[in-house]
Amino acid sequence: MKTLAEPQARAASVLRPAGLVPYGEAFFWMHELAEQRLRGEIPDTLILLEHKPVYTCGKRWKPEHLRWAQAQMEAAGAELHFVDRGGSVTFHGPGQLVGYPIVDLGVKPDVLEHVRRLEEVVIRACADAGIYGLERNPVNAGVWAGDAKVCAIGVRVMRARVTLHGFALNCTTDLGWYDAIVPCGLSDHRVTTLSRLAGREVTVEEMAPMVVRHFGSVFDLDVMPGR
Amino acid sequence: MATPITMPQLGETVVEGTITKWLKKEGESIGRDEPLFEISTDKVDTEVPSPVEGTIVEIKVQEGETVQVGTELAMIDTGGNGQVASQPQPKREEPEEPAAADKATAQEPAAEQTDAQPEEPPAPARQPEPPAPAPQPEAASGEASEARALAVPAVEIGERGSRSQILSPLVRRLAEENRIDLSQVEGTGTGGRVTKRDIQAFIEGGGAARQPQPEPEPLPQPEPQPQPMPRPPQPQPAPAPAPQVSAREEAIPLTRMRQAIARNMVASIQTTARAWNLVEVNMENVVRVRTAAKDAFKEREGISLTYMPFVARAVCEALVAFPDVNGEIREDQLILKRYVNLGIAVALDEGLIVPVVKDADTMNIIGLARAVNDVATRARAKKLNPDDVHGGTFTITNPGPFGSIMSVPVINPPQCAILAFDAVEPRPVVIDDAIAIRHMVYLSMSWDHRIIDGATAAKFLARLKENLETWDFGPEVGLAARQA
Repeated sequence: MKTLAEPQARAASVLRPAGLVPYGEAFFWMHELAEQRLRGEIPDTLILLEHKPVYTCGKRWKPEHLRWAQAQMEAAGAELHFVDRGGSVTFHGPGQLVGYPIVDLGVKPDVLEHVRRLEEVVIRACADAGIYGLERNPVNAGVWAGDAKVCAIGVRVMRARVTLHGFALNCTTDLGWYDAIVPCGLSDHRVTTLSRLAGREVTVEEMAPMVVRHFGSVFDLDVMPGR
Repeated sequence: MATPITMPQLGETVVEGTITKWLKKEGESIGRDEPLFEISTDKVDTEVPSPVEGTIVEIKVQEGETVQVGTELAMIDTGGNGQVASQPQPKREEPEEPAAADKATAQEPAAEQTDAQPEEPPAPARQPEPPAPAPQPEAASGEASEARALAVPAVEIGERGSRSQILSPLVRRLAEENRIDLSQVEGTGTGGRVTKRDIQAFIEGGGAARQPQPEPEPLPQPEPQPQPMPRPPQPQPAPAPAPQVSAREEAIPLTRMRQAIARNMVASIQTTARAWNLVEVNMENVVRVRTAAKDAFKEREGISLTYMPFVARAVCEALVAFPDVNGEIREDQLILKRYVNLGIAVALDEGLIVPVVKDADTMNIIGLARAVNDVATRARAKKLNPDDVHGGTFTITNPGPFGSIMSVPVINPPQCAILAFDAVEPRPVVIDDAIAIRHMVYLSMSWDHRIIDGATAAKFLARLKENLETWDFGPEVGLAARQA
């Protein structure tokens, strides 16, 4: 029997907005791009950025996951948003590499496979940075070093096809921000950063190209730099 | 007519999902592809569109309930009676009039808050310059519009026409490539739909009779792809006259697998210019890491840490360094490949099979261990897909477990080379003018002299030897890095 032709790696682009991006803008753009992806107007796209300080609550949040009142967060300089992804509460801010892959999962979407792939991208990129031993944790999606989470993951799938939201990898994040919340709703687990794990400064700038490369290899995409 | 809407399967391992939100209420009309409900599975929320246009007559599973894949969730009347036809609506309607059935609304105060929030997209004025990537029309616009309907109607709608119209593109292509008359194929999918499995079963049952060439049977065996190079006279086992068998002999018909192996191996010998090299590698470096890591590895990964992923890792690096060894000849051209698909020879009772680990060069030891274990397990369980045994660019075979210490493998065309690694065993070796006992292994490679020469082969093997003897594999299997 003849086999199916190997699918060619699809083209994909990367968007890397500069500076600290307000959450609302990124939220708007990821939905806009997902709609475009759904209509087939653009290729799979990875948005990579850093946010201004913000707390976001996914669909599984519970009031007890917020330790501070909204006013207290705002006084500290962070916004609070309730959003349409899976998962619970998390923080985004300076020193954290946030990736929003807008990817078409095709007619037979495997949403957990998508999460596994996001984890794989991060694990491989960290290995490239010399940070080994990161792993998955049956407790919770994301990338872990022992019982400390270094990368949070939360995803939404639009029309059962195109992915939104994604992962947040702590590079040099000020962990003090996490005092305000119970990250991911898990009270007995810690969060950490790559810099702490490596014992040196591992910056967002250092990690971004490796994340892009492994996004290409794990998702089998030919990644081209976008604007 | 009422069409049932069922819980869709959102991945191979996903067996259930929680309905987090109905985006429509009973009595409301909905358009095809318009979002109907949301499902939550751990970290992923999925918005599911309606597969049909119509009016929602019944919602059977309420928000917050978790149900199995395939459970009926709602009924949609597609008859067109009642409400006016749907217009594409803004995706989140305000809970305006307390309409027909708002009984579901009060259920989840938390969820309500959640939904109220997604802040209005910022006004265009303060948006950053549009980061719109260049539109790439070739990037699958057709695909995107295809079969978006995921929540499958459990009953196919009769007036949709013949079955051929509801084939997936994959099935259609399979049928075309194998010249199958679909009316002859019994569909076992939803509503009698012909699935990929049906086609494969049909082909294996001899259904695809009218093959243009004496092309191979659907055997999970590395085939020499139809090459424009001179094809050897093929020993066709088929029309052979029944052999003479004496009373002290027994005739056993060759299985199709055996026949395919015979064909491929003879074709290899007849089309390649095979040469052979051997290196001996001191495996102490690998043995040390493996011994230290294997128990924790087994505990963590659930699979044994064998020598194979170490050798595979070292091979992939060497293939990237010597791409010719990973190449093939196609129409008088050398084709170099920017990927490594590693064939792993697996011995089964009924014969040899070579499943392929795709993109092996992007994997670390753990990834390779998992991938090799996966294909080998599936090979033994007869669960390989046709894709799993094709597209290899280099093959590794490991006769060591059977006690062999040195092998001369047969190349698997169109690949350039095949590596055999045999038993790792303590042997006396000379180190600094003294005789010592070290774990040694012979790595031997058969290679195609049409593609490379002895110098390349020898350099490739030297690189492989160096990788295995000097690399610090520890960090990749969870050990601390070696102190320099």
